[in-house]
Amino acid sequence: MAELDVGLLEALEERSREHPVPAVDGVVLFDVRDGDRVDEWYVTMKKGIVTVARKGGEPDCVLTGGRATFDAVLSGRANAVAALLRGAFNAQGKIILLSALQQLFPGSPGIDGLPAAGYAERQS
Amino acid sequence: MSAEVKILDGNTFVVSDDNGDIEASLTDPTGLFSFDTRFLSRWVLTIDGQRLNPLSVDDLQYFETRFFLVPGTGTVYIDAKLSVIRQRAVGGGFHEELTILNHDDKPVDLTVRLEAACDFADLFEVKDALKKQGEYYASVDDGRLVLGYRRDTYVRETRISATEACAMDEGGLTFAVHVEPQEKWATDLYVSIGRGASGTTSGLPKYERPAKKKARTTLELSLEKWVDDAPSLDCDWDSLKRTYGRSLVDLAALRFSPVMLPGHYLPAAGLPWFMTMFGRDSIFTSLQALPFASDLARTTLVALGLWQGARHDDFRDEDPGRILHEMRFGEMTAFEERPHSPYYGSVDATPLYVVLLDEYERWTGDAKLVRSLERQARAALAWIDDYADLQGNGYIAYQRRNEKTGLENQCWKDSWDSISYRDGRLPGFPRATCELQGYAYDAKMRGARLARTVWHDPAFADRLETEAADLKRRFNRDFWVEDGQYYAIALEPDGSKVDALASNNGHLLWSGIVDKSKAKAVARHLMSPAMYSGWGVRTLADGQGRYNPIGYHVGTIWPFDNSFIAWGLRRYGFKEEAARIAAGILDAAEFFEGRLPEAFGGYERELTKYPVQYPTSCSPQAWSTGAPLLFLRTMLGLEPIGEHLIVDPALPHGIGRLELLDIPGRWGRMDAFGRGRVDVGSRARRGGQLGVLKPGSKKA
Repeated sequence: MAELDVGLLEALEERSREHPVPAVDGVVLFDVRDGDRVDEWYVTMKKGIVTVARKGGEPDCVLTGGRATFDAVLSGRANAVAALLRGAFNAQGKIILLSALQQLFPGSPGIDGLPAAGYAERQS
Repeated sequence: MSAEVKILDGNTFVVSDDNGDIEASLTDPTGLFSFDTRFLSRWVLTIDGQRLNPLSVDDLQYFETRFFLVPGTGTVYIDAKLSVIRQRAVGGGFHEELTILNHDDKPVDLTVRLEAACDFADLFEVKDALKKQGEYYASVDDGRLVLGYRRDTYVRETRISATEACAMDEGGLTFAVHVEPQEKWATDLYVSIGRGASGTTSGLPKYERPAKKKARTTLELSLEKWVDDAPSLDCDWDSLKRTYGRSLVDLAALRFSPVMLPGHYLPAAGLPWFMTMFGRDSIFTSLQALPFASDLARTTLVALGLWQGARHDDFRDEDPGRILHEMRFGEMTAFEERPHSPYYGSVDATPLYVVLLDEYERWTGDAKLVRSLERQARAALAWIDDYADLQGNGYIAYQRRNEKTGLENQCWKDSWDSISYRDGRLPGFPRATCELQGYAYDAKMRGARLARTVWHDPAFADRLETEAADLKRRFNRDFWVEDGQYYAIALEPDGSKVDALASNNGHLLWSGIVDKSKAKAVARHLMSPAMYSGWGVRTLADGQGRYNPIGYHVGTIWPFDNSFIAWGLRRYGFKEEAARIAAGILDAAEFFEGRLPEAFGGYERELTKYPVQYPTSCSPQAWSTGAPLLFLRTMLGLEPIGEHLIVDPALPHGIGRLELLDIPGRWGRMDAFGRGRVDVGSRARRGGQLGVLKPGSKKA
């Protein structure tokens, strides 16, 4: 099986540069499982900016889940909080980091028949 | 079913009959609940096959209760030879101490049975009577009865154990009990819950054995400290002292510690069904409680900031910068069958977030927090202009994007018929209700103050003030109902004024958006016989098409609403009117033993003599609990100005003397004193009431 799409992780970095997350500093370890394979990504949050690396020190929070779940959440097909609630994700450590980090995950695509963003253009 | 008894700790709570039994059905909201999931739906005690009869119930604390029982369920009390005590405390599940006393001069042998079962229903399922999709299992191992539910990776378990020897089967616990004459037998029962809901668990649910002594003392200490830290009130009106004490204890019970901020508390919306983070309710309650317990505001601001909207998500009605409406943790949320992870369908929480941030700083001087939340506050302010203008006319409006499970009405009056024309017609969507524009105005003005004094961005401050001034000018033109001399409840997309007269006008005074020249007319309406019942201001004026004195948002009186109306009246200098509203609601509080309900009937006070409670399932409710606190603030005229606390009392006559001591704030601690000098139409005090008469009616 292929590993987690690096592009999805890079997108996190990019979004954090555009829209920094609440300033909670720390390291979240993405512990990505796929059969026997374990993939580790260190997601460092510093002053609202995120960087992702293969290696890192002691994480403050570990997020464990299947590759399919990570894939779905990082591409906006599933919601991270819902995944945690149903046990598809498991988290240990400082949960506050995940609260901040989840702001970078994409939203769900539009509901059938509705535009992706339903607000009107502002008239000046 | 017998009377309900509720005890709770955060969002874990037990609702049972008055003999301590739980016999829930899918639609019957009793049981042990935690994180929006029922963890015990059956818990029935029998002795020799007989149910027990309650003699009395002692609510020891909000988290602890004691049931005194005798065998037999007959209606006539027979001189029983046995008595049974169930003492139950919530904390990570619950602990129950079961004691059987033999009053006879002969020994007895008894079969004591506790039946246990669980349906693991989501609160939403209880509400809508939906069917479960997963599988149940039950087992007895290692001295524990395990009841479980599994749906894919979603697992919830309840584990039951006892300190005395017993036989366990999948349906409960059986004890063979021998009690000598005049002796007793006792066992501790532990009901532990395993939940992945908190997100803090590893692969398997976590089992917390509710530590009997530890959990209880922690909660007791916490309550004691909470009451000690709040200002103390002394006054010659006993009813007010009782109401204040009740409010403090209830507010303690309503505290909720979000998973990501352990050890910090924000006010949940209502007990027990709304023990979760709500944007609007948590903000309003924090505002009411600021002079008494500013930490609630702090946690609310931090938590709501962490969950601030960051993307477009139609299912959750989320936009960047938007403050959440409600967070839930049950199965339906977990499987994205409900959008509460969190759901953002509230349109007032976002401007009110900025209002709370500013008010918090004015009281506490905590500029550090204001600096750390600068980005969130700016995003909230940007949301008002960029995402809330659904009508394209520069006003905040709402229309849900999630048409299946989203909320249709996203302002505080969220029932289907709350927004109407004078003749009863309902407007279309998007709806721009008037109070939202007031909140937006206030958010911009307060945001400007923070930008200037804390963020050191005078250009941003100038911009916000210019926008606020423009909004105020347009609002006073577009919403003013000329032939009625009040503000329309809403605007239609085509600019039509939805012209019902409603209590929202009072929130406009609070926000400051009301032109000085129009304030007197607005105040006159609020105190008019059509709006003011003698107990308080009705949500909708008598005489409007949809007026109904027991209609949820179309005629009932809401204590929370009235507390903000009184604050608004004071803001525009109508001290006596504010005092009259405070007197009416505080009088009503006496009928509810100091615990104000969410709403009560809009009947004339002279007609019913007592406030008729509107039937709701939640009590206490956070913003009703906070109302007496805000009334104390408005009656004493407490206002932080710079480093000082200004006291400018305007108390109803019936209160001879009022002292609020050790009010915390940026000044350290200060005392406030007041004497009742405002004639609110009171007669000689009767039955402990101030006895407010409607304006225009004769004094007794």
